[in-house]
Amino acid sequence: SSTYCSSSRPSLTGTYTSLGLQQEREKTYILVDSREISSGLEVISSLRAVQGLQVEVCPLNGCDYIVSNRMVVERKSQSEMLNSISKNKLIEQIQHLQSMFERICVIVEKDREKTGDTSRIFRRTKTYDSLLTSLTGAGIRILFSSCQEETAELLKELSLLEQRKHVGIHVPTAVKSSQCEALQFYLSIPNISYITALNMCHQFSSVRKMVNSSPQEISMCAQVTHQKAEEIYTYIHYVFDTQMLPSDMKQETKI
Amino acid sequence: MEGNAPEGTGAVHVPFGYVVASEKWRGSQLAQEIQGKIKLVFEDGVAPVDFYLSNRAGILYITEADLVAGNSYRKRLVRVRNSSNLKGIVIVEKTPMSEQYFPAIQKFTVLDLGMVLLPVASQLEASCLIVQLVQEQAKEPSKNPFLRKKRTLLSEPYLLRTVQQIPGVGKVKASLLLQKFPTLQQLGNASIPELEPVVGQAVAQQIHAFFTQAR
Repeated sequence: SSTYCSSSRPSLTGTYTSLGLQQEREKTYILVDSREISSGLEVISSLRAVQGLQVEVCPLNGCDYIVSNRMVVERKSQSEMLNSISKNKLIEQIQHLQSMFERICVIVEKDREKTGDTSRIFRRTKTYDSLLTSLTGAGIRILFSSCQEETAELLKELSLLEQRKHVGIHVPTAVKSSQCEALQFYLSIPNISYITALNMCHQFSSVRKMVNSSPQEISMCAQVTHQKAEEIYTYIHYVFDTQMLPSDMKQETKI
Repeated sequence: MEGNAPEGTGAVHVPFGYVVASEKWRGSQLAQEIQGKIKLVFEDGVAPVDFYLSNRAGILYITEADLVAGNSYRKRLVRVRNSSNLKGIVIVEKTPMSEQYFPAIQKFTVLDLGMVLLPVASQLEASCLIVQLVQEQAKEPSKNPFLRKKRTLLSEPYLLRTVQQIPGVGKVKASLLLQKFPTLQQLGNASIPELEPVVGQAVAQQIHAFFTQAR
């Protein structure tokens, strides 16, 4: 599994080696989008039942599960993958995730059979095959699950795997009210994930410290690749020009 | 015998638009279905790979029987995984009979080895999938929606929104602030006296506190 250890990523592991392995395991967090409460309740309760996992429900804005500092997991029902009508929506969704995360995993979950439903026949479509091959071609991982409980098991495996690669989530997910404002500020940076903003909240002593950081410091504290850190750095140093605003926004802000 | 076979992985030449198949697939339903759509060449001694899509990508086909029989398929997977110049895609027959063994092979293939795993219900389904994989390989990367270059976004609207996250700052003040302090870094380093003429005393203090407050 050594090929998956990214060499360009700085590591905060030194901070955590003092903790015993058991303790480190207990600190494994999974962030769950609040929308999943309605669609994946059994996934969440299974995750909670799995010992040693900290499940935090957060407003993740379209990311189903965040299992590490760099990996997002999208849970898709098999019927959505089969249907050509939902294809474009799915593509857009994945592209959105690609702008924020280094690694993406799609869990294709079998649809729940309703009682009385004479077992729905799975008819493989060209859309389904082409989605699978495009995802594979782009290095996006795909896992197959037969039910919500199995999905939870796979999420646990993924987060433990990421943990072993030293990219596990270690910051507390709860934010104090004073941090809340900073979190919202960081979240408004384009193409930034919830976990990256959370890392910034906990690793920078103040927002001023963050805006004065070098790309290396951003990479270290926010736990992102150097490329992503450069992107954030460029945004902080971007010179605002009112003329570049879309015309409708210009009028709104004119006095 | 198979154990003595030379490490042939990656040494196979695959002409463009062809698929090279292991001799053992000759006459099978899978080979026949593929042959209807793509040119197939049979070759001896390409094991452990079943089908080569290109010089660098190969398919390992795990049948229902392989899966039910035990873990012997693992050795094959590991051999391909360890060859540095070959990307292995594992296609597995997931049927009512072999379904119960699927989670174990998925965990081993995807999570332990980091290889791609795609389940099929039959050789017929596998043939369609393999054809699709060949087409995916042949087309330009930019045709893959997940490999398309990102458009560079205009930062101005985002900056306006970011500055509005500072307590006490709405649309109007955000714009005024950015006109005076055109980068987030300059705004973050502004002193209260510098901020005051733009937003007034109270908000100037709020902004300063937001940036300097220890969290």
